[in-house]
Amino acid sequence: MKRCDVLVIGGGPAGLAAAISAKNSGADVLLIEREGALGGILKQCIHDGFGLVRFKEKLSGPEYAARFTDEFYSLAIDALTLTFVTDIERTDTGFNVFAVSRSGIEQIEAKTIVLATGCRERTAKQVGIHGTRPAGVFTAGTAQYFVNILGELPTRRCVILGSGDIGLIMARRLTLEGASVEGVYEIKPEPSGLRRNIYQCLDDFDIPLHLSHTVTRVFGAERLTGVEVAAVDENMRPVAGTERRIDCDALILSVGLIPENELAELVGAKIERGNCPSCGDDQMTTVPGVFSCGNCLRVFDLVDHVTESGEAAGKNAATYALKELE
Amino acid sequence: MSISDINKKLKKLSGGAVSATIEGDVLRLTGKLDSWNEVLRVCGSVADDRSRRHIVNDIECPEAPSSMRLPALCDSALEGLHPDVLVIGGGISGCSIARELTRWDASVLLVEKESDVALQASGRNDGEVHCGVDLAKKGLLKQKYVTAGNRRMDEVCRELEVPYRRYGQLVGFKGAWQRPLATLYAWYMRRVCGISDTRIIGRDELLKHEPGMNPEFSFALYNPSSACVCPYGLTIAYAENAIMNGASISLDTAVTGIETCDGRIVSVKTNRGTVYPRVVVNAAGVFAEDIARMAGDRFYSLHYRRGTNSILDKKRGCLVNGVAGIKGFKNKVKHTKGGGVLHTAHGNLLIGPDAVETTEREDFSTRQESIDSVFEKQRVTVPGISERDIITYFTGVRACTFEEDFVIEKGRKVKNLVHCAGIQSPGLTTAPAAALDVSRMAIEELGEYRDVKKNGAFNPLRKGIPTVRELPKEQREALIAQNPDYGVIVCRCEEISKGEILDALRSPLCVPTVDGIKKRVRPGMGRCQGGFCLPLVTRIIADFLGVPVSEVKKGSDGTFISFGPVKGEKR
Repeated sequence: MKRCDVLVIGGGPAGLAAAISAKNSGADVLLIEREGALGGILKQCIHDGFGLVRFKEKLSGPEYAARFTDEFYSLAIDALTLTFVTDIERTDTGFNVFAVSRSGIEQIEAKTIVLATGCRERTAKQVGIHGTRPAGVFTAGTAQYFVNILGELPTRRCVILGSGDIGLIMARRLTLEGASVEGVYEIKPEPSGLRRNIYQCLDDFDIPLHLSHTVTRVFGAERLTGVEVAAVDENMRPVAGTERRIDCDALILSVGLIPENELAELVGAKIERGNCPSCGDDQMTTVPGVFSCGNCLRVFDLVDHVTESGEAAGKNAATYALKELE
Repeated sequence: MSISDINKKLKKLSGGAVSATIEGDVLRLTGKLDSWNEVLRVCGSVADDRSRRHIVNDIECPEAPSSMRLPALCDSALEGLHPDVLVIGGGISGCSIARELTRWDASVLLVEKESDVALQASGRNDGEVHCGVDLAKKGLLKQKYVTAGNRRMDEVCRELEVPYRRYGQLVGFKGAWQRPLATLYAWYMRRVCGISDTRIIGRDELLKHEPGMNPEFSFALYNPSSACVCPYGLTIAYAENAIMNGASISLDTAVTGIETCDGRIVSVKTNRGTVYPRVVVNAAGVFAEDIARMAGDRFYSLHYRRGTNSILDKKRGCLVNGVAGIKGFKNKVKHTKGGGVLHTAHGNLLIGPDAVETTEREDFSTRQESIDSVFEKQRVTVPGISERDIITYFTGVRACTFEEDFVIEKGRKVKNLVHCAGIQSPGLTTAPAAALDVSRMAIEELGEYRDVKKNGAFNPLRKGIPTVRELPKEQREALIAQNPDYGVIVCRCEEISKGEILDALRSPLCVPTVDGIKKRVRPGMGRCQGGFCLPLVTRIIADFLGVPVSEVKKGSDGTFISFGPVKGEKR
């Protein structure tokens, strides 16, 4: 059995920052990451633009992550990778956490927990996409994993629904890989991604952005063969007569991120609308000793702010754990 | 109704466009109509519960049912085979029949045109194990088999290790004035229809049993025997057990023609060669009438009803523990209780289905209207349900006869053919019982050729793939120690390990596609719908098969996921 003052769950930018700041505050820290390597989603974000706030530099995702993993390892913080938390029990002195990995089930006694579990992408069915169910419907992050991690091209000609940042980034990325992006369709009257991504990812590549438009139907019995798009009214309802069919082989969705708070729920933390945990200024959830940071706390636009939130949670968790100790 | 009365009625209904002839218990309608809806109306109008005649639709109509989608594959893998029994169709009917046939010393070949079993109606339903109360009508085959099938389900699911959960069904009624009528109905169900567990419970007991149901219900019809099973899980398990006991299953195999001679099937043509079976079982679902036509033994006709179900996040599973529905004695829908809210065998909540007639037999596309209408109705049953909690939805198409009953009998004009057709709801429930009868009919027929002994080596037990997340900690630990892949979580939402995925790839009916794996061990079934695990599962399949990622399919042949390496990537 392992013991620690602060157990950080999630090894993305928030978890890394939390672990480092907790360690620097004098706590005994253990980090658990479900993937094989630290860095979280940054591993697949090979574009630049990260770190402008924090480092006044334009870093790629892996470069930004490396700044923190380097520090993490130099501080000799304990990490369990390819390890998945399955259960958390509350005890008198903190928490019993169970995690599975290739070596079995690890039980960890932690005084405090920092949740840095990130977020997931909203799916086609959650935004009411109808029609057939062919291959070729991807969320932008999944498409990004195929291209940047597996080196596989998931589309040759696609439509992107939603103007979230990952969607915009993927519009450019796929274009650079020789795919054609017919257009980005956004149901709202204004784009939801960062301004700079509109310029750098769409305008610079002549990819049209269609505001107040949505995808109303998907076609194709096997691989996707096309989608139907339509203009929407002020209530975001499709306007009859504006439907247009676009031939393409994929629909890529960037329609929002949902904080992943299944562990927070498991431990009994109160979850508010938008799937965010209810937290005080110290980022502690309604369960004493359980802190939250990064995109599972709320969805941030910039990784720099995710890091900041991780640092705060790590420090607060360490203070909480060490105070309990006295 | 006499034939002259029928013709009078038809004349009135169709303005003389349709007329009927009777041959034994078959009522054949001929003529010409402009729309499928008119065909439905006219054929439906002469369906008669008392006479229980089969209705054959020979009415010409420009809106004909869609033709069968054929697999792209073309080879001669089956050429010249002489199976004792050929089962056409790999749905719950065909797979359960194949399994029961392996109790006998007979060679069994099952052909399925899709890339997996349970891809049509059997994989696209709500998984309810019906108690029979919604369709009880004395004399129907449906009713005969529903109680028997329900009773057998425990044993079958235990033998085949299929997720199964019995918590009972509650159908709520709002108006207290309906209670005497419902009490009478419950008595009728118990005494006349043999659904002996039917009773009426009051509001307090109802809410104790299902706290999520509408507190405005004043009483409910309660059937403790209703349950939920994983419908594709059961079909796959039957198929695997059939294979274990010697049956062969050929996927991507469509029947394209049948040759008969002197009232017997001589050969069956498929896209993978011609086979020469002794006996043929027609379990072809929405294409059963087509098979009957090919064999020259068409004494029933089908029409098709689309239904859409929604699946809610497991977090909402607690809203209903079993099966919940709503009913009033007004606006009675004839052939369905009109969907409901179910706690699935895997712990999700399922809402639906609706029922809409269609001619598109393989159009599984979904429509928002279906979901909206089902939610509008079921929000009355369980006020806590919300469309916001939907994680996925799907559409299935039921194969129905106009007489709205099953056809389970030997061929009329073709001796070595057994029909298992028109298997709409509750075909999942009835399968364990119906399969026994159908296999017996087939073996009887085979007995005309030779003496058929029991298969002494028959093993009814099928070992399922362990659901690692549900194991007690010690067992899970032991399993990981044996095989560390059980400790690598690939699907985070459903907590599925790499070991389970590899088990599915090594299972008796290996379907190495993303959907095949998803149906067997559930990666991608959770709230992120494969957002995280799709690339990982794709990669595991590619590695297992030793092929590039671009050769891995979602399902059937044309459903590739990747176009190949990105620029500059060499392999």
